[in-house]
Amino acid sequence: MLLRLLPGDPANALLSVGADAAQIEKAREQVGSNLPLWQQFLRFAGSLARFDLGTSFVSGKPVIEEIAARLTVTVPLALMGFLLSILIAVPLGILSAVKADRWYGGLISTVSQLGIAIPVFWVGILLVTVFAVTFRLFPSGGFPRRGWQNEGQVLYALALPVLTIGLVMGASLLRYVRSATQDVLGSDYLRTARALGASFPEALVRHGIRNGAVPIVSILGIELATTLLGAVVIERVFALPGLGSMLLLAIEQRDYPNVQGVLFISTLLVLLIGFGADLTQRLIDPRLRERAVGGSA
Amino acid sequence: MTGTIIGFGKTAGQARRARGATLAAATLALALSTSTAVFAEDAKFDPNASITIGSLYEPQNLDNTAGAGQGINEAFNCNVYEALFTLTDAGDVQPGLVAEQSVSEDGLTYTFKLRPGVAFHSGDPLTAADVKYSIERVTAEQSKSSRKKSLSTISAIETPDDQTVVVKLSARSISLPYNLSYVWIVNDAAKDLNASEDGTGPYRLDEWRRGSSLALTRNDKYWGTAPTNGEVVFQYFTDATALNNALLTGAVDIITSVQSPDSIAQFKDNPDFTVTAGQSTTKQLLAFNDRVAPFDNVKVRKAIARAIDDKKLLTSIWGEYGTLIGSFVPPTDPWYVDLTAVDTYDVESAKALLKEAGFADGFTFKLDTPNYDPHPIVAQFIQSELAKVNIKVEINVITANEWYTKVYKAHDFQATLQEHVNHRDIVFYGNPDFYWGYNNPKVVDLIKASEAAANTDEQTAKLKEANTIIAEDAASNWLYLYPQIVVSSSAVSGYPVNGLNSQFFAYGIKKSEQ
Amino acid sequence: MSPVETSVSRREQRHSLALTLGLALVGINLLVALLTLFWTPYDPLNASGGRLEAPSLLHWLGTDRLGRDLLTQLMIGARTALLVGTGAVAIGATVGVSLGVLAAFATRLADDVMAATLDILIAFPTLLLAMLVVAASDSASLWTAILALGLAISATVARLTRILAKRVLRQDYIVASRTSGTSWAGVVFRHVLPNIWPTLSVNFALQFGLAVIAEASLSYLGLGAPPPNASWGRLLQEAQGTVYTAPIGAIAPGIALVALVIGMNLLADGLRDIGDPTRGRSR
Repeated sequence: MLLRLLPGDPANALLSVGADAAQIEKAREQVGSNLPLWQQFLRFAGSLARFDLGTSFVSGKPVIEEIAARLTVTVPLALMGFLLSILIAVPLGILSAVKADRWYGGLISTVSQLGIAIPVFWVGILLVTVFAVTFRLFPSGGFPRRGWQNEGQVLYALALPVLTIGLVMGASLLRYVRSATQDVLGSDYLRTARALGASFPEALVRHGIRNGAVPIVSILGIELATTLLGAVVIERVFALPGLGSMLLLAIEQRDYPNVQGVLFISTLLVLLIGFGADLTQRLIDPRLRERAVGGSA
Repeated sequence: MTGTIIGFGKTAGQARRARGATLAAATLALALSTSTAVFAEDAKFDPNASITIGSLYEPQNLDNTAGAGQGINEAFNCNVYEALFTLTDAGDVQPGLVAEQSVSEDGLTYTFKLRPGVAFHSGDPLTAADVKYSIERVTAEQSKSSRKKSLSTISAIETPDDQTVVVKLSARSISLPYNLSYVWIVNDAAKDLNASEDGTGPYRLDEWRRGSSLALTRNDKYWGTAPTNGEVVFQYFTDATALNNALLTGAVDIITSVQSPDSIAQFKDNPDFTVTAGQSTTKQLLAFNDRVAPFDNVKVRKAIARAIDDKKLLTSIWGEYGTLIGSFVPPTDPWYVDLTAVDTYDVESAKALLKEAGFADGFTFKLDTPNYDPHPIVAQFIQSELAKVNIKVEINVITANEWYTKVYKAHDFQATLQEHVNHRDIVFYGNPDFYWGYNNPKVVDLIKASEAAANTDEQTAKLKEANTIIAEDAASNWLYLYPQIVVSSSAVSGYPVNGLNSQFFAYGIKKSEQ
Repeated sequence: MSPVETSVSRREQRHSLALTLGLALVGINLLVALLTLFWTPYDPLNASGGRLEAPSLLHWLGTDRLGRDLLTQLMIGARTALLVGTGAVAIGATVGVSLGVLAAFATRLADDVMAATLDILIAFPTLLLAMLVVAASDSASLWTAILALGLAISATVARLTRILAKRVLRQDYIVASRTSGTSWAGVVFRHVLPNIWPTLSVNFALQFGLAVIAEASLSYLGLGAPPPNASWGRLLQEAQGTVYTAPIGAIAPGIALVALVIGMNLLADGLRDIGDPTRGRSR
């Protein structure tokens, strides 16, 4: 519904300059913007149920087709960035909590402070300047024309964007891992386990991960959604044809079918990720299995 | 539903920024040394090379009558689609798909014989019916082509046989061949020209990946000279810095027009790159809504022109590049008159004019500013200049789309910034319904008469007169003329450098063998 | 002394250091912002030098394309950043806390619906929500950017408030006070808000930093505060094209932004330890 708050009639998109009233009315009929709001909404809901997202006002291509093409960029980008951030955040986060007294423990948390304070496009531009322009190790941007028909090229093209996402998201994730680990370290059950004779690493792995991981998983869910839907800035820096840049363009062009389509797919993705996170939490922590659905606190 | 949007036409940058273009009668030297073509090197070139062209102007769709924006002309004109006539990069109008033409004594009937043996990419032969269909597509009611109005003198199109097209006019139109160079000849049986093509050009569309690239491959059955490369890929960027980086790192071979002096600095004096200055027709405008107060007052418009130091602005934006202009006509047009002396920078006389107009204490106006470079920075400059004559400028940042609906279509604005890329676009001042609403009956008549002129001398004389009146009226404020600079990797040559009307002919580009 | 206790005292030391550093960074920003109300090195709107001058004694950080002093722009940027952060958090807090408290008091069904909606909204990145809000307004201004960020923040705040408020409402003494007839508003203002305030304020400090970063990103996309507001985001965006010829223009606003955000984050960490001393002690 938010879409209808956008100023301007979508029928405008179909008209040429100096259209007369009759032409305007015709165009409005064509887009359906002459109907009352609730009818427009019903129409929209009806076609969603059939997975028919309509046709772009601008390109004339089916919305779903373009979204599918964009997802082949955004999904791998987000997933790889996400994986990299976990690979960075989990070991370093635990290390910095366990070894908080050592110099590197302090260093890790200081660097992560820095990581969450830097705008992501700044990191991206910095990486491009260093790794692409100066050392020519990776391409500075763009997505291979043939897409996934050439996996090597795609991976090469996505290297810097993935690194950017991994670093920025890793820094923020690291802080959660660190604080969850601290909670576990200070917990009674860990002390009990150690008193009962378990070694420190053993106790940490057996009890710590199970207990510490539950809040982390819900954070991970949110971070994954953020990366999937929020990659617009990264896509801009690296000239990638992803979902975020599709939405930005569609908003600028008032291409309503595209805006609606992207938001619909985004919501689906969010729900899916939320469901996945819920499921994972239940697998990790048996106590959650009995809890009713819906309470995600 | 046929989806289309936004016929930005050629007047405005729906796609960002601009690109220069020029006429053949180039007499003036621009800020840089001008060369009209980059000549092919003698070195061996790869006949099957893939040429990547970096651009900021992704088309909205693939149909230039459906408001695709300037990007589609760049990619498709003379590459995928051809017209009856071709506007060359040097600015000459040459026969394209026309083999011979004859004009009746009264100038009202044109007979065109089509070139034989031409076929569309789909295999259909080119016939007169296709030509009739193609012209009518442009003049149709729902067409968003910017040339619709220029072709409005066409009263009938007849096709006595498959190879002959007769165009009848209601009034003489000296620019008819020129205007026909904008009309793509498409197959009348083609479907869905928004997302696919069926032209006669040296390339066929391979794939359009929206938001990223548009690829053309060589048409091996082309009727004319075969391209000197195998494939052309237009790689699209939304950010000029990313585009520069792509050329620096070898991801693209050519940038069709560089947008800042700072990026030129990166390529100049580097043997890996070739920097070429072409001739520009891109004008930076402070356009007033001449219908509304206080801009309906000539004195106010002239005062503003005198209060802004164009030279300082040009230096801020373009450093040592670019040219000052005193009207809408670039030095390369035949009807150019040096009008830079009209309303030169003079704050005191600006104040005096404002006082005469009854605005001794100034006034406030809203400046609709497109949100991409260089407009926001130009707006700030104007704001600080006009503050000196007590005029307060409120900068209102809008997107390219809002500019089109609010300013261009609805005329709902006081003043705006825009770059005008077109070649021979002074005619816009003869249209009182144009967005800036300039309405001087004398100019309207002169421009109309220039089109009905019997020869180019008469046309030129009339347009020169109109041009002078427009400048004296300060119909708009013409801030400066952009430079037109193409940068490429030194491995490629043979590309057009003027980018006339956003066209970018790719068939002559050669890439040396590595 | 046991090793655990040693670690506690060192942690506390570090936390007070963090708090001091945070206060210092934010304090400097605040002072600079206040100073610009009375004095700046040069006129922010008019040229005081040539195009893209390098740093010199006259212009410590050089000049921009229009010849304006960059240090002046940067100082005014500090004011804009505070305005953006404070404004966005104020809106986010007002809307978010109200919604959160309402949800906590609502019927089971209404609460479930709200919780589910918030869960979805929260997964939408701040930037994406802000983009939509900016697009919904006719023209971009500093205020639409602030409003957009504020509304985006409110989802997170609402979710947090709801959880915290429910926890408070379950306390025995509140249940007792409610049954004894204390009004709804009385419970909220006397018990709920004071109890959840410490945790919320930490969150506000974090959101402040996020809002400043998000404004920079909006500016990068061309949707941020329009000129002549000197926001760091806009300075960064304008300096993008000249990053190789005049790198200082892209570096200086970036450092200023990072310093303020780190300052707010450290402040948040410090506040958390003050507000929740048990966390420190349990270790």
